[in-house]
Parts: sequence; structure tokens; C-alpha cells
Amino acid sequence: MQNAPSIEEQREIHRRMILTRRLEEILGVMAKEGKTRGPLHRCDGQEAVGVAACMALRVDDYVCTTHRGHHVYVGKGMDARRIVAEIMGRETGYCKGRGGHMLLGDASIGMIGGNAIVGAGLPAATGMALSIQVLKQDRVAMAVFGDGAAQTGIAHESMNMAGLWKLPVIFLLENNQYGLTVRQEVQSPIEDLFIRAAGYGMPGLKVDGNDPVAMYQVVAEAAARARRGEGATLIEAKTYRMQGFSTSDMGGYQSEAEMAPWRDRDPIRISADTLTALIGADAVAQIAAEAEEEIQAAFTHALADPFPVYEFHTPSGAYAEE
Amino acid sequence: MANPIRVDSAGGEYMESVVVLEWTAKIGDAVKAGDLLVTVETAKAATEIEVPCDGYLTAIFAETGTEVPLSAVLGLIGVTVEDKAFEGAVAPVAPAPLTPGATAESPVSAAVSPQGSAANNRLIASPAARRQAVHQGVDLRGVRASSPTGRIKLRDLVQVPASQTYGLQAPALSTLPPDDHGPLKIYRSGPKTGTPLVMIHGFGADAQSWFPLERDLARSTPVIRIELPNHGQSPKRRVGSFANLARDITAAFDALHVDDAHIIGHSLGGACALSLADIRPRQIASLTLLAPGGLGAAINGGFVDGLARASRPESLGPWLRLMVADPKIIGDDFVVAAMASRADPTLRAAQQQMARDLFPDATQGFDLRAALARLHCPTRIIWGRADAVLPWQQALAAPGRIGLHLLEATGHVPQLERTDEVLAILRAQLREGVSS
Amino acid sequence: MAMMRYAEALNAALREEMTRDPSVFMFGEDIGRYGGVFKVSKGLMDEFGESRIRDTPISEQAMTAMAVTAAMTGTRPILEIMYADFIPLCMDALVNQASVFGYLWEGQVNMPFVLRTQGGGGVGTGAQHAKSLDSFLAHIPGIKVVAPVTPADAKGLLKAAIRDPQPVIFLEHKLLYNLRGEVPEGDDHIVPIGKARIVQSGKDVSIFATSKMVIEAEAAAKLLAKDGIDAEVIDLRTLRPLDLASIKASIAKTHHAVVVNEGWTFCGYAAELSATIMDHCFDDLDAPVMRVAMPDMPIPYSEPLELAVIPNAAKIAAAARRALA
Repeated sequence: MQNAPSIEEQREIHRRMILTRRLEEILGVMAKEGKTRGPLHRCDGQEAVGVAACMALRVDDYVCTTHRGHHVYVGKGMDARRIVAEIMGRETGYCKGRGGHMLLGDASIGMIGGNAIVGAGLPAATGMALSIQVLKQDRVAMAVFGDGAAQTGIAHESMNMAGLWKLPVIFLLENNQYGLTVRQEVQSPIEDLFIRAAGYGMPGLKVDGNDPVAMYQVVAEAAARARRGEGATLIEAKTYRMQGFSTSDMGGYQSEAEMAPWRDRDPIRISADTLTALIGADAVAQIAAEAEEEIQAAFTHALADPFPVYEFHTPSGAYAEE
Repeated sequence: MANPIRVDSAGGEYMESVVVLEWTAKIGDAVKAGDLLVTVETAKAATEIEVPCDGYLTAIFAETGTEVPLSAVLGLIGVTVEDKAFEGAVAPVAPAPLTPGATAESPVSAAVSPQGSAANNRLIASPAARRQAVHQGVDLRGVRASSPTGRIKLRDLVQVPASQTYGLQAPALSTLPPDDHGPLKIYRSGPKTGTPLVMIHGFGADAQSWFPLERDLARSTPVIRIELPNHGQSPKRRVGSFANLARDITAAFDALHVDDAHIIGHSLGGACALSLADIRPRQIASLTLLAPGGLGAAINGGFVDGLARASRPESLGPWLRLMVADPKIIGDDFVVAAMASRADPTLRAAQQQMARDLFPDATQGFDLRAALARLHCPTRIIWGRADAVLPWQQALAAPGRIGLHLLEATGHVPQLERTDEVLAILRAQLREGVSS
Repeated sequence: MAMMRYAEALNAALREEMTRDPSVFMFGEDIGRYGGVFKVSKGLMDEFGESRIRDTPISEQAMTAMAVTAAMTGTRPILEIMYADFIPLCMDALVNQASVFGYLWEGQVNMPFVLRTQGGGGVGTGAQHAKSLDSFLAHIPGIKVVAPVTPADAKGLLKAAIRDPQPVIFLEHKLLYNLRGEVPEGDDHIVPIGKARIVQSGKDVSIFATSKMVIEAEAAAKLLAKDGIDAEVIDLRTLRPLDLASIKASIAKTHHAVVVNEGWTFCGYAAELSATIMDHCFDDLDAPVMRVAMPDMPIPYSEPLELAVIPNAAKIAAAARRALA
């Protein structure tokens, strides 16, 4: 299979998906106990999209994501302990507690951030791709965005310019069916959003967002195109949001009948089945055990870390230094 | 009248208030100027406030733990243990005081302020005018607003009669500029090398007044002229005392970096020259004093005050003519030119303040006779026997080794009235000073 | 020194900085082949090619956001927004992206982009092409805002802006492009951001002005001089971060302040100046701070109507006289 992940890469995808799931499950429990701050947006059921897509890129490729970005953070290789520390508002977090769970970034591995303005990721990645093109670098930029963001005006402006200038950018549309509480068919006249790519002169592809191997392949192919100078790609990954909009979501609009088939297609289960055939059940269980150990240690250490101390941010200030 | 204990100097640039941390004396204690009295906390650190003058701590308006504005009076130092006489605002928690007892809660009645600027019985004055009023000790209720807005402005505080002041500090004067602590103005002329002659002018004059001597001497001698604070192009600042003035002159002299110098000073500048010679004896080649101050209590107070206040040639002329034995040598052109150099009202205000600080109640507030007795360098005193500003008899305080030149029919400005004779004396002095 | 028009001074700055630093590039509407609607980028596409001088579609929203991330990933973009009236389209990128990430990701990324735009009225461009939205921009933490008025400052500040590690909004004025003046030549002419310029010293009243209003303030000072009023005129040059020291020094001297800005009055830049002066110079004030700004209404088209709303020398002089009354 062209652009397929190696067994090693599949193991790593599996491990990072479990890390993401366990991160969110633990945060979910803590949220119920009132031990977290502000809303949390979980991506349970969507792990394959962020993790496998990022695994198909290089460390120095750029990625940006949404307010629902834990799978992209972990997928791009951010450290679980520092992610937890940021979410728990600690000095040791990626943004020293300034950002919180929606706005993490680690420029050293090309993770140019979560973004909680819906639609902001598309021009962000397009701008990074513009930078890559001006500097003639061998890099790719990728925006992970949702079906809600796909309806914004800035999405159109961004994809138009990316298509026009053949920028090395991947638009990864993570279609989890919901924009907050409103289903996609109430927001868009078409079911398949990837067909819009034709209007921007770029390929549009649809992929099963719950299948990590398929995800990896399609992103790897898009990245290869971009590196060849052939420009942008729009990929629509079909998936489903299992845990509501956020911890502040009262629920009630996602029926069990609608959710049950997606639960059966849990990406971690799909990944485990694929890997078991390749490396055996014991090795797969071993990956899960190691991931569990890592995430527990991440919480233990992060929760023991100090809180930051407030300091005015002089570069933001309104007055010149005297 | 008791003296107020104030915070202002302890505050930082952005400070508006301080918290009183500790009083080191209690009411009734005798205190000495310079001793630690109160510790206050500013935004940055604890700051100590010293006793402003000798006396007794007779009142505490800001107890430990209270927050007070920078302008507040914390307490009083009485002349006696009973002395609490004080008419200023203390306002321990309100911002800059309006007037004594005039707050939003107890408005000044129209009957009390017949001419003050008031709307709905509230006094209306600009922030700058309020600050200046506190600084001067002026009661704004007695000030008339010249602005059509009815607001008392800075300019309205010019020449408020003394009867309308609290009597806390100096009587009112025209607008004082903020203190400028920059270096004194220095003029140089003549050759670059050789032992220089440093010239210090008198009160109300400036470096240009040395012209009759300078144009001649600068042909052969490096000449350096220093302008006193609040005179000529020098910065304007509250001098406060003769000791501070002497410090200013010493600092200016030190900044010249000369190994030795001849010094000549006239009148107040003579007093400065004398104190400089006393402070830096090893760097003085010779000292020439023209009708110097500091050698006795008497001074013509009307002259000092009139000179400082004169705002037109008509009022300046009589005082200038009082300085010389023959009034005819001060022509109208001379007066007009002299007035032009004093056109800046802030300069005149600063000189009035300086006069008040140095010559309180028509008295020379400093005595340099002991310094005169300590001198070792060749020293000459030149004085006119018809001096109407400082009596020439004060020269007789000089010890025998000091040369006296007491000129006949000469007033307070020998260098102008007897230029050739003064030049001859000075040339001899320069030769003598170098050879020693 | 060379005698140049304002637009030529900007062009020289762009050419020098693009020559000096290959990571500098420029994009915007009509800036390439055509050289920009105000001819500021004239000739640059021929010199630097289509990759570094890009004509764009009409997409201000995305372009501004792209400048932010391009700047975070190794380039120094210069974005031209043709009219300041279009700034509201750029706002998310400035308010929610540039401002935020400079603080959140401090130490991880720099954000050296320049957004050039031009505003101001007086020539009949109508309600959607004549505004000064300075206060929108100067309101945003972490974003610098400069507004040069002389050709020399235009060049020196643009070079400083391009080299600055933070986002800089560079405000031009459509009536300044043909202004001529002496401009220092060569790479070294940098005008530091955050420093005001004393246009003329005076002792009676301080007039603080921005952009073209500096020229009106100078004219006002001449009117005032006829009445014996000695006005100090200060060109703020940088709207944020503001040169507070120069403001304080001037008011300590004159005790009277007039603030002038071409934008709307209510919540405008002049309002902020006034509040700043109140915060820092209250006890030095001998009169309330006088604001001279645009009335709070849309800009009309017809000449007598438009000229009635734009601040000018007469209005500034009148305000100064009110302060001194």
C-alpha cells in the first residue's frame, strides 16, 4: 500500500490515541469533581483523525488545530505531562498556564497552536504555507478544522488563495457532524463538504476518520503532493463527536440510536484489531499498559507542579518605557 | 506657629498616597531636626521622614496604619510643647486639600468666600492651581478667578496678598516653575591655558554684568563665569538656604576640573566666592571680593525685594540707580536692557523666592566672618564707601592680612563705577596669586 | 539627504529592507504589477519577483490572519490594506490571533509583521473610504501602532516597523503621499518606535496630534502666535506604545493640553490621550484637556459637509484658546 504507516508507526498511533483518550477520560472525571477550570472540549471517538494525520507529517511540518485539539497535540508529539500542566494552569505547562486547553502551542515541533475562534485555523495554516513558499522550504502546513469552520467566510478566502498560489497546505476537515448543538445538515446544503475543493482548483478527498491507517495514508499522500509543489488538498474525514460539545454542554440532542453505530466503530478498537493481527494481542495490551502508566505519571507530576505568579506583560503594554 | 510634617519628598513618581508605618516619637517629645520621625510605606519600600526642624512633636494627624495622600500634613512640630497653631489643611485621607475645612461635606458658604470662585458653593480651581496654592500656603477662597470659566487658574495665584495666606511658608508669589536640578550655566572666554579667573555675579544680575572687566581680562587670562541658580540661563529651583547655594557653587566649580583658580565675586556672588574658598582652599590661587555679602547682618531689604519684583523698566530703574553713587551712569537704555534680561516672570518669581530664603526680614541670613578668618590665599576686598545696599563698614570684619580697597564716591558696583581701578587691583591680585 | 515625496520615502524603505532581508515579503491588493493604489510599492515586483511581491484577491480577513502565522514561521510579511476603513475585516486576526499569541506563546514565536494601511478624509472618498480608526487599533495589547507624518519619519519608522519583533500597524494618510521633505538616505535611518517628536517648542499650551493632524496643529500654532500664544506642537508618531515621558514633560511646562486625532470623538484616540493625561499629569493641568476630533457621525460626501466634520487648524486653535481662557 502506498503511503501506508509502518508497523512501528501504527504502534505509535495506537499509543498516542490511548494517551489522548485516557487524558480526556481523567479530565472528564476531574471536571465532574469540580477540579478543572473552564470548559473542556473532548474529542473521544475522533482520535484517529488528529493522531494519524499528524503521524503522517514530519516533526518540522506545521499544524494548527481547533478548541477540540487534544488528539492533534498528542499526535504531533507534545508531552502529556506538559499538556496536563497547562490544562491545570501550572507554570510548567506549554504556555506557562497562560493558554489553557484550547490554546496550546509548541513551536519547536511545529505545533502552531490550538485556536478557539472557529475558522481561524484555515488562514493560519495558509499563512504558514505562504511562509514556506516564500522561504522555499521543504515543509507542509496542515489545518485541522471542523464542519462548523467549513461554513465561515474566511475558509473560502483561505482555500481560494491556497488554490491560487498552490501553497503547500493540507485542509483537514474533521467532520464530526456537529457545530455545537446543530447538526451539519442544518448548517450546509450539501452532505459531502470535500466537493468544494473543485471550486478552489485542488483535489478533494473523503476518508473514514475512524480508521487510523486510512487517515495516515490520505494525509501522507497530500503531504507528498504539497512537497512536490502541486499545492493544497482538502480532505474530509468523516467521524463523530461522542462526548458533547464541552463539559458545559447539557446534552440531549445526540440520540443513542445515532451514537450506537459510531461507538461500535471506536477508532481505538479498530486500531487494536488491526495491530493484533500484526503484532499479537499481548503486544497490543502492552502498549495500552505503557500508555496508562505514562498518563498517570503525567497527572501525578503535573498536579504537583507550581502555579505561575502574575506579572504584567510589558510587550503588550500601552506605554513606551521611559 | 507650628511647622507641618509632610510626606511629599518621600513619594515616587506615580505615588499618590503612602501608609504610615511607625512614629518614633510621641506627642510632647522634644525632637531635633534631621532625626528619624516617621516611617511610611510607599509602593516600593519603607521610607523614613526626618524631623524638619527642632521643637516638640505637638500633633499627630495620621496615626500608624492610616493611608494619607502625598500632600497631607502628618503632624506638627511646635516651637513649644503647647504649640499647635496651624491653619493649613491636614486632610489625612482626602486627596490634595482644597481649603481648610472646605470639603464636599462642608461646603464653603458664599458669605465666607465673597470673591472666591464657586459654583453651588464648591470652590472651582484647576489641579495645578490647587497644587500651587498648597505649595505657597495660599487660601483659594480669597482668590478671584480671572477666567470666564470661573475656574481659578495658576495665573490667579500671582501676587496674592500675604494676609490671605496661611502663613505656613513664604508669602505668595507669582508662578514658580518646577525645580530644575540641572547644572549651573558656565561661560568661558579668553585663552585655553593658564590659571583661570572664575567670576560669580551678584543677586539680580547675571554673567553679562561682568562685561566691563571680562572684555579686558579675557585678552590674557582664561575667564570662567558662573551664573547663580535662578539667574541668567541657569536652572530655576528653590535654593532654600545659603548652604544649598554654596553647595551649588561648589558643584559647579568641581565640574570645571581646575587645579587652581582665581576667584572673584560680587555681593551675593562674593559670599559664594568666600564660601567656595573656604570649602576648596587648596584650589584657590586668590580671592577678590567686591562688596561681598555674609560679613554682617545689615542689608537694604527694600533694594533686594524691589529688584527681584520689578516687572517694568519704570520700577526697575530706581533700584538700579540706588546701586551706584552717581545715578547718571545708569541711563534709560541700561535700564531697558537690564529689564529685557529679566523679562521671564518665572525668573523674577524664582528670584523673589530666593531673596526670601536668603534675606529674611531684610537680614543677611548667613554669616561668613568665620570663613574669612580661616582664609590663607591672597585675598582683597573692594568696597564703595557710598554703598547703599551693603554697608562698607562690614569690610572691617576682615583680619589684618586681607587687603581692603575702600573706594571714595563709589556705590555697590565698583566694577561698573570704577572699572579701571578695579582692573588694576585685579591684575595685581592675579600676579600675586600666581607667584605664591 | 534627498528630497522625496512621502510615498517615495516608503518605497525606499521597502526596497532597502527587502534587499537587506530575504525573509521580508509584501502582499496586498493591487500592490504588484500596478505598484499599489498610492504607488508605494511601485517597481518592487520587477525587482523582487512575484513570490515576494504578491497581488492578492480581495480577502482582507484571511490575509491578515495569514500575516500573523507567516510571521510566526520565519518571514517578515508586510501586508497592505488599501483603506483603513477595511480594518474591521482584519479585526479577528489582530484581536484574537496576533494579540493573544504574542503573550500565550511568548518565547516560542516572534510575530514580526507590518500591516500598512491609509485613512483619513478630505477628498470626497465618502463614508466608507475616509475614516481614521486609530482607536480600534491602538486598543489592542501587544500590537504597536505608528503614524508618521513627514517623509523622513515615514521611511525611518517603516524600517523600524519591519525590523520589530512584534506586530506593527503602520498608518498612512491619503493626503500625505505627495508631501515632500528631506529624507536621510541609507540603511541607518531608523526612527525608534515609541518616541514622539517635538515639532515646535512652546510654553503656553501643548498640542498633541497624530498623522495629518500634526500639519493642522502646526497651522493652528501659527494662528495662535498671532495672538501672542506660544504653542508647543508634538507629533506623537507612535500611537502605541505611547511616549508618556514626552507628554508629561510638555504638560509640566505648559499646564494646558489639546489633543487632536482625526477619528471619532467618543471612545476615540483623543479620548484615550485625554484620559492618559488625566491619569499622569492631573496636578499639572491648569485647564481641562481639550479634545479635537471627528464628530460622532458618518463622514458625508459633499465638500462643505465633509470639511465640516474633519478637524482643522481653526478648530485646534479655538480649542487652545478655550484651554487658555
